[in-house]
Amino acid sequence: MADHNDPNAVNSIFSDIDHNAADLYDLFGFPSANTDGGEKVVIALTFASVPEAGVLDSDMLYRIRMAAHPRTVWPAKGEPTLDALLQYVEQAKVKYTGELKSSEIRVTIDKAQRATVRFINFPAGPFSTVVDLNKVVTIDCPDRHAIQAFIGGRDDAFFNDLPGFFRSINYAPQFYHVPHTMTEARELPIPKTLLELDGNDLFNFNPANPNHGNGVKLDLPPGPWTWKGNKFKKDANGNFRFVYSGIDAQAGKNINAIILEIPLAFITGAPETNRVVNTWGESWVLKAAHKIESIPDHPFWLEHPLALLDSITLDEELKKYKLVDTDGQPFADAALSEREDNRQLGANNFWLGPHFVKRLAHLGWGFGPSISALGLKTSFDHDNSPVSVHKTYALAAAAFPRVKKTLFQQLRLPDNTWNPKGLDIPFRRPFEIFVPNVCGIDMDTTGTWPFGRRLEDQVATRFLAMFLDMEAEFNGKKYHIELLNDQSLWDNAPIVPKTPPNPLKNDAAFSPNFPYLAAPWQA
Amino acid sequence: MLSDFELELERTEGDIARFESGSGDLDKRTSYLFRLYHRATLCGDPAAFDRAEAEIDKTILRFGPQEDLCFLKAHLDFQLHRLDAVKRDLAMAPALAGRFEGRALQAEVDFQEGRYGQAKSEYERLIEENPTWDNLARLAHFKSKMGEMEEADELYFDAEDQLTAKEMRSFAWIELQRGVLDLSRGHYEHAAGHYDRARRAYSGYWVVDEHIAELLAARGKFSEALALYQSLVARVPKPELRQALGELYLFLGKPAQADPWLNVALAGYLDFARRSDARYGHHLSHFFSDVREDAKEALSWARKDIALRENFSTQAALAWALYRDNQVEAAVDTINQALASGVRDSGIFAQASTIFQAAGSTCESHQCLAMAVAINPYFRNFHIHR
Repeated sequence: MADHNDPNAVNSIFSDIDHNAADLYDLFGFPSANTDGGEKVVIALTFASVPEAGVLDSDMLYRIRMAAHPRTVWPAKGEPTLDALLQYVEQAKVKYTGELKSSEIRVTIDKAQRATVRFINFPAGPFSTVVDLNKVVTIDCPDRHAIQAFIGGRDDAFFNDLPGFFRSINYAPQFYHVPHTMTEARELPIPKTLLELDGNDLFNFNPANPNHGNGVKLDLPPGPWTWKGNKFKKDANGNFRFVYSGIDAQAGKNINAIILEIPLAFITGAPETNRVVNTWGESWVLKAAHKIESIPDHPFWLEHPLALLDSITLDEELKKYKLVDTDGQPFADAALSEREDNRQLGANNFWLGPHFVKRLAHLGWGFGPSISALGLKTSFDHDNSPVSVHKTYALAAAAFPRVKKTLFQQLRLPDNTWNPKGLDIPFRRPFEIFVPNVCGIDMDTTGTWPFGRRLEDQVATRFLAMFLDMEAEFNGKKYHIELLNDQSLWDNAPIVPKTPPNPLKNDAAFSPNFPYLAAPWQA
Repeated sequence: MLSDFELELERTEGDIARFESGSGDLDKRTSYLFRLYHRATLCGDPAAFDRAEAEIDKTILRFGPQEDLCFLKAHLDFQLHRLDAVKRDLAMAPALAGRFEGRALQAEVDFQEGRYGQAKSEYERLIEENPTWDNLARLAHFKSKMGEMEEADELYFDAEDQLTAKEMRSFAWIELQRGVLDLSRGHYEHAAGHYDRARRAYSGYWVVDEHIAELLAARGKFSEALALYQSLVARVPKPELRQALGELYLFLGKPAQADPWLNVALAGYLDFARRSDARYGHHLSHFFSDVREDAKEALSWARKDIALRENFSTQAALAWALYRDNQVEAAVDTINQALASGVRDSGIFAQASTIFQAAGSTCESHQCLAMAVAINPYFRNFHIHR
């Protein structure tokens, strides 16, 4: 009882929580343009550049999991129902957690900054190799396929106005000093919105403090943090104020990445029928107890590190790590899971089915009226509300009628370039995209989102397009997922600034050749 | 090559320098304060706690009672046994006491103030909500004191399983607690195993060396223990370490060599006490009861300590001081209060045995001695007062 070194003394209490290498950022996946020797799929998993770009953390284990199977088509006929949706979720769950055996590429880094890359559950059988970091390397497989690999530092390929997104959801920690203990002061109970709300002084752009929310934080005023207004804000010229700026908040930032270009025939024995490669990434961190074991006591292990590796079975290896983060679809976590850590774990997000419906309806009450105010048609049923509404749902059944069209509508692309072979491939629907939380790369397409995710896709803006009514027309053409990236739309809208929500391209040009992501910025 | 401890200290010093200039930015200021507190706990430097406290107070004055700041202040006050202050700190930010983290700290206060059932229930509730390693360790500590040693060790094991390679200092700390469990039962070999794992998990940590030194002395490896204590007092300014070294010399029948260290330790304790600092009341009571016997002084410090936190540990200390002061009847009453808590500690049972013997209660005395031996057959070996 008199011991001064109680748990409090060693507990990592707040304000010393640093970025860490377990933070997964993005998963890109698309068919490679390089078809020499057969079709190939490009998969790039990006994560925080800790300790620094090009230097990887030797306590981490990264998994890129994948499963190829035939393209499936939503069979439902007639009116979509909540039951049908939940049945779909259940079937997907059975498939992903039961019958489907995913293959896996597992990467660990040793103290000498060499990467051990293990291939597990592929038709060629298990094998592993050790590669240098920050170099393009070719991995020769037992079945004579060759895989291109790059593990190391690159430019962050994500281009996005993150402060704008956080302003749209009234995410206080971006704008205010919010103590870690105050979990109720994250997404404040103010309507989500694309247009500033009249009198929303907590989050509206303040010309006197233009960097508020973009590096500048203020003290959080005492609550209640609600909004009492009843209209969108307009300036003297009758223009709405956009919550987005279109500025790339990720410009000049680096990430670490595992980038692979893999022959489809290496992933599946039936590449002609298994046309969709579903993939997701996971980060695992070594448990403390096993770090002790890996501190070698005997010189033998120092001299023969591979012997140690070989003595460990793979399942035993994974037991020594703790799953920290999972990444499949962009915004599946940040937008649809309320940024709750316990909902960000596991690509098998099937239990989130009902939550997904409720969360989408919550977002819809914010974004739907914003879209209508701009004179556009929305897929969300907001009863012609003239302004965004803060509404949450306890029951999926109550939320479903509102969000039905948003969930089930096909997300149209602007032209046919995504489908170069002209095959009968239906557009994807939001519920198919986000449950399960995997990146589904359709090898018969270009792999542009949502048929995968190409580096140049502006996915944040495409995500918002889910709330557009894809049956409506703009300038004589049906709405599509690139509509909000169309500058002419904003030029003619009563809004300032006149910009698409997010930047249209990355700050650094992508390379036409492997590893595609631009070289890292120099410090 | 720098040890893990040196690396962390270097990193913390770097952070402190980096955040020190950001006095107008609350986030930077908060990070700065957490690092100051962290450095104090890392180094075991009592003066560093004072500096951290002064800076925290200044910041609260400037920015108001932000939850993070109040939480940090509450932690610091808890470290220094200022339980009333902890309660005030938690109340400063109204919602804090109801937060997960605030509830854990409040449960610690309950334990320190002898509300054992309340503390245990809250630990269990917190673990049910979220089995964080620190709450598992808190419940383990509780169970270890109540004699549920196997359960305690399992909980410590579960706590370890929550920790990653990024938390090796915490892992080492839990290994030390598991070692203390073994040491308190006389299982020296097992204790040594845990201490060795702690050493390998987080190298260069004086807290590990402190435990190893005690174990060496308990096992009769006195010259090694002395050497390690000598190295510790050269590195760490804590008066407790000087007392431990002095006590070891006393144990070895070398009072002349003990005296300088005990003088320094006592001066350190009294220096803090003069500044109305309560953190060393327990040590002073023990010091005057057993190291340099002065029954009145022992009694005075024991009463001050129990006024701050009444629990089996402070009750036992008071009973022992009363016994030293020949107030045997009062000593019996007080030790009975301590034993009624359900505590299972060989040291307390040994003291109870002596007190009962002095009161002429031979039967109770024998029972308590038997309990002490049953818990730890080697309880008379060298040990430090935790």
